[in-house]
Amino acid sequence: MLRVLTNLFRYRELIGVLAWKNIAMRYKQAFLGIAWAVLKPVMLMTIFTVIRGFIGIDSGAIPYPILTFAALMPWTLFQESASDGVNSVVGNAHLIRKIYFPREIFPVTAVVTKTVEFLINCLILAGLMVWYGIAPSWQILWVPLLLLYVLLASLAIAFVGAAMNVYFRDVSAALPVVLSLMMYLSPVIYPIHLVQEKLLRHGGNGSILYTVYLMNPLAGVIDAFQRVVLRGLPPDPATLLPGGAIVALLLPVSFLIFKRAEAYFADVI
Amino acid sequence: MGQVQSLKSAVLNGARRLLGKPVEKRARLHALSDVTFSVNSGEVIGIIGQNGAGKSTLLKLISGITPPSRGTVSVEGSIAPLIEVGAGFIPDFTGRENIYLNGAILGIPKRVLERKLDDIVAFAELEDFIDTPIKRYSSGMQVRLGFALATSMDADILIVDEVLAVGDLAFQRKCFDRIESLIRQSGKTILIVSHNIRQVERLCGRVLLLDQGRLLQEGSAATICDSFYALMNKKIRHNIEQSANSSQRVISSGEVTDVQVQVLDRDGLSTDQVQSGDPLRIRVTFTLRSSLNKPEFHIGTHTTDFFYLTGSSSALVERPDVLLPGRHAVQQDIAMYSIVPGTYAVRFAVLDKFRRVVYHGETLALFTVSQSLRESLQDELRIVDLPVNWSIDGRLLNKSFDLQDIVSREVQ
Repeated sequence: MLRVLTNLFRYRELIGVLAWKNIAMRYKQAFLGIAWAVLKPVMLMTIFTVIRGFIGIDSGAIPYPILTFAALMPWTLFQESASDGVNSVVGNAHLIRKIYFPREIFPVTAVVTKTVEFLINCLILAGLMVWYGIAPSWQILWVPLLLLYVLLASLAIAFVGAAMNVYFRDVSAALPVVLSLMMYLSPVIYPIHLVQEKLLRHGGNGSILYTVYLMNPLAGVIDAFQRVVLRGLPPDPATLLPGGAIVALLLPVSFLIFKRAEAYFADVI
Repeated sequence: MGQVQSLKSAVLNGARRLLGKPVEKRARLHALSDVTFSVNSGEVIGIIGQNGAGKSTLLKLISGITPPSRGTVSVEGSIAPLIEVGAGFIPDFTGRENIYLNGAILGIPKRVLERKLDDIVAFAELEDFIDTPIKRYSSGMQVRLGFALATSMDADILIVDEVLAVGDLAFQRKCFDRIESLIRQSGKTILIVSHNIRQVERLCGRVLLLDQGRLLQEGSAATICDSFYALMNKKIRHNIEQSANSSQRVISSGEVTDVQVQVLDRDGLSTDQVQSGDPLRIRVTFTLRSSLNKPEFHIGTHTTDFFYLTGSSSALVERPDVLLPGRHAVQQDIAMYSIVPGTYAVRFAVLDKFRRVVYHGETLALFTVSQSLRESLQDELRIVDLPVNWSIDGRLLNKSFDLQDIVSREVQ
């Protein structure tokens, strides 16, 4: 574990340069430039707000647009860093075939790249908070920890996905479908308390179903993000636990599969 | 794990495993097997061999890109891969941005890169264009930048894979000099893979010859390169003999057919071997379909890689006014064929009086030049062995003296 981290630290300069390359490459010769990073969550927020006008979703005391934007931030970070991470190895085939450095650099770089975009989105969130007159509390200091959790969850998908994608390109084709399904299973469009009320009021196996719902690694953290930023409450450990356990289990397995497959990347890719 | 299967064969093999039946296996190709060698620090090693001999696989094993399926590779010190210059260039980035990006990929620390930036730019001769996106560069400019960057690494071991053949002639010269100075000054360990055998011979102290994944020979540069040439000539000869006429380069109008080329020895007998410095006689027989006015013939010899060595035209001698249809024979005698030992080929051409090419063929026959009986000194340092006269301080040296005698006399 420590060895993995020191190894990554040794290659920090390379990770930094590659992340800068990813960002610069995406926005060079694009008129809107880095604005694309915020455009996606902002547009989704707008659409969700319009839809909510038809079907009505109870957002409690918090205005719906900012609530859904705060959910979209961790979600977009997860979705994009997982899918970029999965494609990162195949996408850098020319480097894999020519030069050796630890291959986990590629998924890690993809995740770092998306973190930069996440930070840009933080500015939009701050703007929205000013607009709606929501003052942050000290609870906002939880954000770095929640961010780290989302990154680890993304890596848990990215490592195993990237390794499998080298052998079967089907993975990169299936991933967008799976991820967009996963968004509906996460409290992005709707706040989590609606799910909680619905399932727990049922009684019986409702609480089991709710735990299954929370095993989605993103479910708990999206709620936690909304709590610490918008509501001024600490994260709810009970909500975070099932998803956190899944990530803690998946990440090492995913990494080990990646490292075992790594040696053959150059031959197979 | 190292193989990709289709979904169908993966499922079928899975089912077979479950049922305990034998699994469909793929034929394995060992790109390299039984290759053992060691390189000392500071040595310059050349690796040569035909296409597919396993050279690139060997470099991949050494630089850690692929693990060996069996056996071990141990490397002490840092390795700088020069495999394919400019592999990671991004077209939209400027030259400067690409230097930083590729520097990081090659593992050059940023501090070092900043110190060397001017050097790299100057070597690549790109001072005026360093802030231009490299998609606007010519291909020569790109490889120059790649080469300059790759050779500025501070690694203990440099791997040079076919990168000396970049840019125009002047820049190739510069690259060659840079590699040479790396060898002489820094005392780095260098592995060079190249098809330019003469370059390998010049740069390397020791050469490995790979053939079909095996280490065929290992030894001093001159010996191994010569035996590689011999191997290649044998292969070329084999190819040509196998495929009869198809590998010959022939342009013909159809007026000249059934061309047969013979190399004759002193006694006028057909042969495929002459001694260096002996007379060479080439006789070409052919069938002429329609009469030809004032025909002109060319006969020449060339190396197996089409470097023209000799060639003469019959235009300078008396020409027949008309050559009637039928079988004819032309012969060219070279009094002294003073080319160094090797395998050579014959070229033949027929032109009409307007110098229209009626027939032109290369590699029409192969012959081998063997070592002359007069023990020659250094065949690898020349192509033609011409008779010469020597003099010292204006005094013509008699033929019977040899150099050794003179040197010892001067010493006394």
